[in-house]
Amino acid sequence: MSSKVVGQSVPKIDAATKVRGQRKFPQDFNMEGQLYAKVVWSEYPHARVSKIDLSQAEALPGVVAILTSKDVPVNEYGINIMDQPVLVGEGEKVRWLGDRIAIVIAESEKIAQEARQLVRVEYEPLPVVTDPREAMKPDAPLIHEERGDSNILKHIKIRKGDIEKGFAEADVIIESYYLTPHVEHAYMQPEAGVGYIDEQGRVTVIAAAQWSHDDLHQISHMLDLPLDQVREIVPAIGGAFGGREDMYIQHLLALCAYCVRRPVKMVFDREESVMRTGKRHPYYMKYKWGATRAGKLTAMEMEIISDAGAYASTSVPVLSNSASFAAGPYVVPNAKVDAYTVYTNNAVTMAMRGFGSTQPPVAYESQMNKLAEALGMDPVELRMKNLLEDGSIALTGNPMPPGVGVKETLRQTALAAGWKEEDGVWIKPGPGLPSAPYKRRGIGVACGYKNVGYSFGFDDKTRAIVELALDESGEIARALVKLGASDQGMGAHTALAQIAAEALGIDYEKVRVALVDTSVVPDAGSCSASRHVYMSGNAVIRACQEAARKREEAIQRGERRVSAEYEYHGRSVRPTTPYDDENGMCDPHIGYGYASQIALVEVDVGTGQTEVLKVWAAQDVGKAINPEMVKGQAGGGVHMGLGYALTEEFIQKEGLIKTRRFSEYHIPTVADMPREFIPLIVEVPDPTGPYGAKGVGEMTTLPTAPAIISAIHDAVGVWIDNLPATAEKVWRAMQVRS
Amino acid sequence: MLTLKMFLNGQEVSVDVEPGELLADVLRDKLGLIGTKISCGEGECGACTVLVDGKAVDSCLYPVLKAQGREVITIEGLGQDNRLDTIQQAFVDKTAPQCGYCIPGMVISAKALLDENPHPTRKEIEEGISGNLCRCTGYYQIIEAIELACERLAEEGGTG
Amino acid sequence: MLEARGGEARIIAGGTDLVLQSQRGQCLAKAMVDITRIPGLDHIEERDGLIYIGAQVTHGQVAASPLIRSRAGVLAEACGSVGGPQIRNVGTLVGNVVNALPAADGAIALFALDAEAEVAERAGRRWTPIATLYAGVGLCTVDPCTAMITQLRFRALGKGEVGAFERLAKRRALVLPILNTAAIVGLDGDKVEKARIAIGPVAATPFVATEAAEVLVGRTPDEASVTEAAELAAQAAQPRDSLLRGSAEYRKAMVEVLVRRALWRAVEGASLQEGEDANS
Repeated sequence: MSSKVVGQSVPKIDAATKVRGQRKFPQDFNMEGQLYAKVVWSEYPHARVSKIDLSQAEALPGVVAILTSKDVPVNEYGINIMDQPVLVGEGEKVRWLGDRIAIVIAESEKIAQEARQLVRVEYEPLPVVTDPREAMKPDAPLIHEERGDSNILKHIKIRKGDIEKGFAEADVIIESYYLTPHVEHAYMQPEAGVGYIDEQGRVTVIAAAQWSHDDLHQISHMLDLPLDQVREIVPAIGGAFGGREDMYIQHLLALCAYCVRRPVKMVFDREESVMRTGKRHPYYMKYKWGATRAGKLTAMEMEIISDAGAYASTSVPVLSNSASFAAGPYVVPNAKVDAYTVYTNNAVTMAMRGFGSTQPPVAYESQMNKLAEALGMDPVELRMKNLLEDGSIALTGNPMPPGVGVKETLRQTALAAGWKEEDGVWIKPGPGLPSAPYKRRGIGVACGYKNVGYSFGFDDKTRAIVELALDESGEIARALVKLGASDQGMGAHTALAQIAAEALGIDYEKVRVALVDTSVVPDAGSCSASRHVYMSGNAVIRACQEAARKREEAIQRGERRVSAEYEYHGRSVRPTTPYDDENGMCDPHIGYGYASQIALVEVDVGTGQTEVLKVWAAQDVGKAINPEMVKGQAGGGVHMGLGYALTEEFIQKEGLIKTRRFSEYHIPTVADMPREFIPLIVEVPDPTGPYGAKGVGEMTTLPTAPAIISAIHDAVGVWIDNLPATAEKVWRAMQVRS
Repeated sequence: MLTLKMFLNGQEVSVDVEPGELLADVLRDKLGLIGTKISCGEGECGACTVLVDGKAVDSCLYPVLKAQGREVITIEGLGQDNRLDTIQQAFVDKTAPQCGYCIPGMVISAKALLDENPHPTRKEIEEGISGNLCRCTGYYQIIEAIELACERLAEEGGTG
Repeated sequence: MLEARGGEARIIAGGTDLVLQSQRGQCLAKAMVDITRIPGLDHIEERDGLIYIGAQVTHGQVAASPLIRSRAGVLAEACGSVGGPQIRNVGTLVGNVVNALPAADGAIALFALDAEAEVAERAGRRWTPIATLYAGVGLCTVDPCTAMITQLRFRALGKGEVGAFERLAKRRALVLPILNTAAIVGLDGDKVEKARIAIGPVAATPFVATEAAEVLVGRTPDEASVTEAAELAAQAAQPRDSLLRGSAEYRKAMVEVLVRRALWRAVEGASLQEGEDANS
């Protein structure tokens, strides 16, 4: 059957209400008789709370309640490891600026704001550790005494082949040390929401969340309530990018509603959103790679240290991903990886677009570009000799499953950008003339790849319900898809509606996707790992097939309603396995997506400033369910990659945050984006994906930073191994070089 | 409390305000116009953009009393009944909204630009939305939407 | 009106900075007097070779003004680089001076133009060089609770006299500068007749590099003289190490780069005008 809806750029399901300003985000909800809450935040990155004095605040007229640790039934939470206190009480420790001492609830927002400033907290400051390399040392101050005698949260080892032998075979060896910074998600919608007790007595939260069913588990644990006594509703989400995978406001709203039994609204301002919530992990990466004169990789040795910040969040799975991608999308017979994630008193670090796959490319792609230079070989050609193909043995010893499209993305990007190929020899185009005598142009290339779905033995699953309303003749009048898949804005609901329409053979306009309300929709897993199109898409197709079958029966029985349900498990395609403790060998991931990009830049040799003029971005999405949405993901991925490479500098000093707002933390404006942007959609089908689709959301951001870094080198001859490549950094590198 | 009068989306509106209040808060909390979004609270992102006397302003930085007697247009003032206006429709057709939180402000900035300059160059479009941040799109489909709106407005002969 | 409130009310025009200051507890005034409706403060006009800009005039209006673009282009450039369109539509140039920040783009151009401000206070109105209004970072000698700046004025640039504005920032729009400079060069034939260079933020107040400008006067602007001037400007500038803006070393080096570029652009513009003059 040729597809009618899949592959079409239908209008997004929520676009019309969004352009009218009618779509409600969490801050847009108000309830009758609602109270307002404000958090009293930690003032120290590491200290013991000696005294909390609420007397002045409680005396303020209009203050309804001030919640402290004593009010929390089970004072712990955490998405992966429950190492976070909900509220920090007297005698307990704060470990970063995002820890909370109390929540003030008042009749108005103004009173709550005033009252929180009247809460007096006394602290005994403790030694602060902010560099994970220091924190790893045996005598470092412990962040979590209760969790053993080391700040090291996890060490992953990969041992493949024989690296001594591999390096002996190498004609060229490149050694470098790479640093990537904290990155702020900077979604436009700050954390907000309302907590209340619903008509059935359930503690209910309206908030933006990426995985509401997991939030429920954490909230029910915190409140010591059965799961069916808690509920979460997810309206429009104003961006998330991983930043709403952990709870930053959901549990606080639940606690407020639970304690005061009235609706409570809480809205973070931008400073709270920047200073008190998680970031992307900074990485310290020591890379040593060898290759033969013919351009074959022979050995790799990598040490990766990630800064977990004050609490674990998903630092361990993020690190696990990074280790598996440490070699990049390349075949290497001999490799050694030691990867660590370490507690510090810095901001908590967590999921952010890429989940551990965005830091390694900064290292592995610069390694490839440096090797190409050392070998006098074109960087595309060197990659073509080493890139993964179907069945290639990956770093973790597993064969790559069918649908490896990385070569095709590189081929298409390179050709589009003007490379010439003849018999496997690739020739780079010239970068063109600079716009001013004090500017130099350069062109750079990078690839990347990432998993789709949850990995390392986790049972990734999505449950979907499809309900059909039939007309008199038995035709499908409407279809409703119910699943707990959040749409952070990328268009998951639109894509799933398209998949449902295709599977049912009906018009897209007839499909609705239910609001995510845990009392109505089943668990579809998190909106992360680029997984909803692939995982939830597979569940929706099968639920639709089941519904279509039931429709025949319904027609015979003269019924007008049909409901079908399906739970899809990733292990039905590929049962993933965890790392072997000794050698790290495993089959890590269910599926993969691939991308390549080329950047053309102009560097100002006087100031060191880089302008990105043009980006070619190819992503292998298997099948573009909605091509315009794929292009939107590519544009957004390049935006984040460009900020990562050049403009976004998250500055902390001794655990204190210096970039507190948008005037200090600089995401790219329209003027910073390349004037020319060429998205290329590559479709190498994944036989297990819905209509061949893979994931797309994260892969589009992987190659951008290393491509820009490589282009800067091409322009002015300096390697920036420490992101972001600010004007000052590039200028200094040029000073050193001359 | 003072009573403020303004012409909001074509209608005269009276609202009681405190002197220190900001236009964005009054629109959202007192007048229920939730389409105006607050994101940075310091004039650094444009999510709260509205038109005051035809000019785009950050309503999160705009003392509400300054709006006395002035004409204010918010996202809710665009389009008629259930019909989107030309700019809004172009944003839908070009898949411009992702999360959509910046979009009302973007649409208003685009309107301010096109009302003043019906045939902007690509660079002028970029300048027109350079006070509006978006974290999702990379801005490309937003620019394409504004270009499409220009073409359609030219065919329609005005912003009517 | 201010007097009636006994110093507790203060003047507000655009309010783009003031609203933030008051949210962050940096402004303690109990009332605001909005001057954007007072008639007679919205002018951009030329009289007797002087350009007058009223207190209601926004950055956007300055940037778009044909008069400013033709007779004081450096100010249009500077005002056009402030914030984004929304800020430029509301924030005023006079407000930029009252805020007294050493990085303010508009003020840097005004310093290069050697502008004066008219201060209206109880005792009457007086004109004073804008430099006298600056007492330190964010400190203006005009107390907005008892007085106001009603307008600015400066000499319109003449034939053979051109200015240029250069700016370095962490990104390409909607951002405060880490360094900015405005340079004006007046040529008489092929010799520099006058020059003026203002730089920010390299001191507590906008900095005028007098020595650097003087070294050009009487000389033909060439690589040697422009370099000498730029180097002198860099020597005189005293930027501080800043976590957010960059190291003092870098910014000092950048003073030379930006001043050199601004001077060259000004010289090229002025030579063009002189050339037209010679041809006409």
